[in-house]
Amino acid sequence: MANKVLVIGSGVAGLSAACELAALDIDVEIVEQSDFPGGHAIQYTCKATDTCVKCGACMVEEKLDRVVNHPKIKVMTGTRVQDVSKSDDFSLKLVKKPLFIDPEKCTNCGVCFEKCPEKGAVVKGFSRNHSPFYAISEDKCLYLKDRSCTICQEACPEKAIDLNVPEEAKSTRADAVILATGFTPFNPVSKPYGYGEFRNVVTNLELERMLRTDGRVLKPSTGTEAENIAFIQCVGSRDAKLNHLWCSKVCCGSALRMAGLVKARQPGTQLTFFYMDVQTFGRDFDVFYAKVRKDVRLIRAIPGDIYPVAGDRLQVTFLDNVSSETMQEEFDLVVLSVGMTPCRGLQETAETLQVQLAETGFAEKDGQGTPASEKGVFLAGAVTGPMSIPESIASAGNTAFEVVKYLGV
Amino acid sequence: MAARDIIHMNELDHTRFKSWGFSQDFCVTCGLCSSSCPATGIDGFDPRKLIRMLSLGLENEVVASRWPWICTLCAKCENVCPMEIDIADAVRRVRSLRDRDKVPGIIHKGLEAALETGNNLRLPKDDYVFILEDVAEEIAEEPGYEGFTVPIDKKGANILTTIHNKLVNTHTEDLKHWWRIFHAAKEDWTVPSENWEGTNWAYFTGDDEAMKIMTGRIVDHMHKLEVKTLMWPE
Repeated sequence: MANKVLVIGSGVAGLSAACELAALDIDVEIVEQSDFPGGHAIQYTCKATDTCVKCGACMVEEKLDRVVNHPKIKVMTGTRVQDVSKSDDFSLKLVKKPLFIDPEKCTNCGVCFEKCPEKGAVVKGFSRNHSPFYAISEDKCLYLKDRSCTICQEACPEKAIDLNVPEEAKSTRADAVILATGFTPFNPVSKPYGYGEFRNVVTNLELERMLRTDGRVLKPSTGTEAENIAFIQCVGSRDAKLNHLWCSKVCCGSALRMAGLVKARQPGTQLTFFYMDVQTFGRDFDVFYAKVRKDVRLIRAIPGDIYPVAGDRLQVTFLDNVSSETMQEEFDLVVLSVGMTPCRGLQETAETLQVQLAETGFAEKDGQGTPASEKGVFLAGAVTGPMSIPESIASAGNTAFEVVKYLGV
Repeated sequence: MAARDIIHMNELDHTRFKSWGFSQDFCVTCGLCSSSCPATGIDGFDPRKLIRMLSLGLENEVVASRWPWICTLCAKCENVCPMEIDIADAVRRVRSLRDRDKVPGIIHKGLEAALETGNNLRLPKDDYVFILEDVAEEIAEEPGYEGFTVPIDKKGANILTTIHNKLVNTHTEDLKHWWRIFHAAKEDWTVPSENWEGTNWAYFTGDDEAMKIMTGRIVDHMHKLEVKTLMWPE
């Protein structure tokens, strides 16, 4: 029988590992819990200004393109692993949530999205490789809640929508499993920055999506362009109270690259970057750092209080290093650079697959006892700790090599 | 001046701060403390700098400076500190390292008075009792409070309450609020005639020994008067 590898998670690490293995003629199945493959990184914006700043966002698009078009790779979205048993190979029970939009019939026309009366019930994808480009949210859809609405089903010109599709149990086999479930962004509601309370406080990931889809920075409260933006770093990273002692590594680079992009596209924008210390991981940091320091005001202190003031603005109090006094300034938009935390549900997945977790909660390659890899379970990407796009790709490459050795291909 | 000239690595003394949840070395200099502190900027006060100075061995400089005394020990800094550094406790410990006669005037004198006389004001017992009874008489003239008296040193009462010195100085009206509530609730309560001081300024001067003496006196009252419940409104 031909070798087959199951990859759990279709973020940049999962996609990269799949590409490497498929290139060696190994069959790959990717299981993706959400409606769209590509993970967090497929939602990131290209941050090039007049030159490329090596953010890596395009590499994710490229990997996804290769994956969806590769005959050796099968992607199953809306699917999770329920159970695993192992004899010589792995037998996996999968649960596939209903795919209400039939990919064979859907032409991505967007009528469902336009006609849906409930905000967030029909969601859009992020990539041209997301097909269908639309998905129906089980949490928000009114039909799934109380059967009160079938507007999309009736409006679809291709009759591609069926809201009565049941959940489906599936099974599959694999010779090796790669766990590449990535990270969960820190939810900053517990931090005193009014996230969830004040509309113009957003996370760095929300800004990424905004820049990717709209191309400009808009205030959520009005939809008009933000003119004065504050970035607050290390929200949920380097925090003993949360037991998150790690640095999330990517946020300084991504926030400053986004700031540079905003300055290039909306030159009148005032940008302020509040930080502990700038983490200059990676060889590519200098590509943009010298220039961005001219465009962005860097303040080496994390702000304290934040209050809403007139005109949907936010008054932020922070230490001014020069005067050693606290200053109060108003911003249109406050962007919280939230940390990378262990993937939600990782503990259960790790138990099922007998993968060890470090004290941090991230998965660990070389913990105590027999490494999971000896039994055919491998780790790739940010499931093991914060990683950038290039690092995830490199990690997935190493993992693919280990898998090949394990399979004896 | 080079850093090596002002930073005395050999004077680092972490054992002194071992009661901290974390060593001050744990500080990541994020500045949340200074951004949040209501006293930042007063005479250049900067909690982050204070913690850094301690971790760099500049303890003597911090002890000699005004900064530890500008801090109000409100502890907002440690509430926001992501590294759980007990900054207010550090400030209090720094205060404890200063010679006692160099502790700022008013709290030093108040505490000395309290240790010597039982209250911060050096108010003699007769005057104190006179004030309490005078206030009680005023209450007794109010409708519904006929016959009201102040139960001083009442053995076996349910509640013992202490007195903040300002309540027998400039704020006697504030005594009445408490007492009216006791009266309305038909509470069996008492106040001590000596060592009645309800503030404990040793907390602010960083003097643990004096703090124990002040607290011990209240405990003695509880034993002697056989009172089980204490109401200690600072």
